[in-house]
Amino acid sequence: MTLQPRHLVRALVSCAVLIFARPPAFALDWPVAVKIITGTFGEDRGDHFHNGIDIGGGSQDVHPVLPGELVFRYDEASDYSSLPRGTGSFVVLHHDQDILSLYCHLQNGSLGPERTAYVPAERLGMIGDTGHANGPHLHFTVFDEQAGSTVNPLAFLPPLPDRPPPVIRHVLLASGDQRQLLESRATLKQGRAEILVEVYDLREDVAFSWPLAPASVSASVDGVEVSRISFDSLQVVEGKAVLSGTTLSRGQVYDSAGLLRCGTVELRPGESQLRLAARGCAGNEAVKIISFSVHE
Amino acid sequence: MRPVEGTSRVASSVRKKRPARVLFAALLFIVFYFLLFPYPLGRELIARPRWAVAIPASASSPLSEPGRPSWQFQLGSRFGYVHGDGSVQYAGTALYRVALSATAFVNYTRLGTDWILQDSSGQRLTSFSGSGYPLLDPEGSRIFNVKTDLSGIIELDKSGGTLWERDFPGLMTTLSLQGDSLVVGLLNGSLLLINRLGSPLLEYPARGSRVPVILGSALAPDGSLIALVSGIGPQYLTVLRRQSSGYAPLATLGLPSDYRREVRMGFSPDSRYLFIEGRAGPGLFDPAAQTLRWVGLRGRLAGAAFPGHGMLVALASRDGGRVQLAIEPPSGVAVYREEFPAHELYLGNIDGQLLLGWDGQLLRIDIEAV
Repeated sequence: MTLQPRHLVRALVSCAVLIFARPPAFALDWPVAVKIITGTFGEDRGDHFHNGIDIGGGSQDVHPVLPGELVFRYDEASDYSSLPRGTGSFVVLHHDQDILSLYCHLQNGSLGPERTAYVPAERLGMIGDTGHANGPHLHFTVFDEQAGSTVNPLAFLPPLPDRPPPVIRHVLLASGDQRQLLESRATLKQGRAEILVEVYDLREDVAFSWPLAPASVSASVDGVEVSRISFDSLQVVEGKAVLSGTTLSRGQVYDSAGLLRCGTVELRPGESQLRLAARGCAGNEAVKIISFSVHE
Repeated sequence: MRPVEGTSRVASSVRKKRPARVLFAALLFIVFYFLLFPYPLGRELIARPRWAVAIPASASSPLSEPGRPSWQFQLGSRFGYVHGDGSVQYAGTALYRVALSATAFVNYTRLGTDWILQDSSGQRLTSFSGSGYPLLDPEGSRIFNVKTDLSGIIELDKSGGTLWERDFPGLMTTLSLQGDSLVVGLLNGSLLLINRLGSPLLEYPARGSRVPVILGSALAPDGSLIALVSGIGPQYLTVLRRQSSGYAPLATLGLPSDYRREVRMGFSPDSRYLFIEGRAGPGLFDPAAQTLRWVGLRGRLAGAAFPGHGMLVALASRDGGRVQLAIEPPSGVAVYREEFPAHELYLGNIDGQLLLGWDGQLLRIDIEAV
């Protein structure tokens, strides 16, 4: 492999990102003692990106992730609401630097008397399954009001214990209505195709397959990056939630079957190589390389 | 002090000269004047109970006369429609919640994605799917899907297709629907007015508080006014009035409250008055006079209605297991006050009169002027 100018440019850009990237402006404590991640940031939830993380671990106390002030709460059993709230009973705290933390699906009646100030040692409520919840879990979201974005809480919480890397299972090439499974040494027709990838992190505490969204996925063909999807934060641009810094909405990130849309590639005659890299929620990375040939 | 002698003599001579019959005629004139043109006394208002019914566990009369009007009610998890004569057109129990409107409803489960729109007699109108929770406008002519994480809203057509979709840069805290317009309050302190096509007509950032957050919002039925309660430290009631160039603040009032939850508020059907929950019980804001008057009731605002064809306001508050009800003209002279035990309460209008529901019963009270 020869070193080409584009490789040098990419290396310089990567260095610049590492040097100038904004360090986390705040560090959070875990809101619960037993930390079982059952849902990750950026997952496809039918009509929206999952804008937080889900934490299981059974019925347990929920604590603030930082000292904060109560700004809004809703107890499904007793409070008035002008709209249906899939969040169930929830609490929102306001912290320094305009950070807001949101704790959803709390048990009815567990919110306790209304108070204005909380510290992490105090209890906000208990994990429950109020609202649109399949089982008891805490849906936890962090809003960065200064940036106007919803951020991936895992970037600010203490690291999770080491876990297996994500799984890159299937790769498909889609052209028009046709989809073709891409396997090594495949022979493809010349043309233009979209790369669709089944990729997921795995929940570790259950015997069955419980997929989670990875933290990021990148795809490159013959050394040229064709897409990079990072579930770092979400912003709303012109009334649509997109991955921050991009124009990628949910429908542009996921196809109707929930596969990740990892860019479009021009298939030219000859030998090519697709490299997929996925980073999991604990930081481990999986790489899959598929070599294929294209004929006219 | 002694009177001046000369003056006293003159007055005495005039009195002697005035004939007694002139005085008598004047007296007679006054008596006849008041007989012919009596001073009009105010009409007396009478609260007349018309009927009371127990809400059946389930009832449906799909064969009732087509077009016969009925009015909605909701009492805890029980809901339905009742005719003006007290016959129950439909009664049901919410599976989880019910999206209720004047003409139709969607009774939905907690996790289901398939919904059935039913008319006021329970007949199926259409069915559709959504990932969130359904919401209908007050008339039942518009269907919305509120995203479960409160990040956005989708308007659906009758076949379930998306008419428009909008995500918000903050959690939705409040929502008010009237006619072609939708007002959404956000956790980030912004209030949005959205038109029939899903486009924002107004984005109003609530200011003046240490933490901006929208805690209550209301849109007048005629669209002329928007009200919001916002902020923590301090809290404000702001009323915006529609002008030729959009909406502009009509009044901003500091509130003594420190709510950290949604504040119940709404406009009267004629858009003339705003009712609002307050620390000292419910309050009534008159936009024309720009006055806010607290009605001395204890506890949280539990319901509001405008009976007597809008002549009166009925407000109810709940404090523990007891309910306080006040019926009075908007100007504030109490007509009726009552306190009674109730676990569930509903206040609504029926044919311009008061529909009161509590603990499985419905009572129609007509307010008449005699």
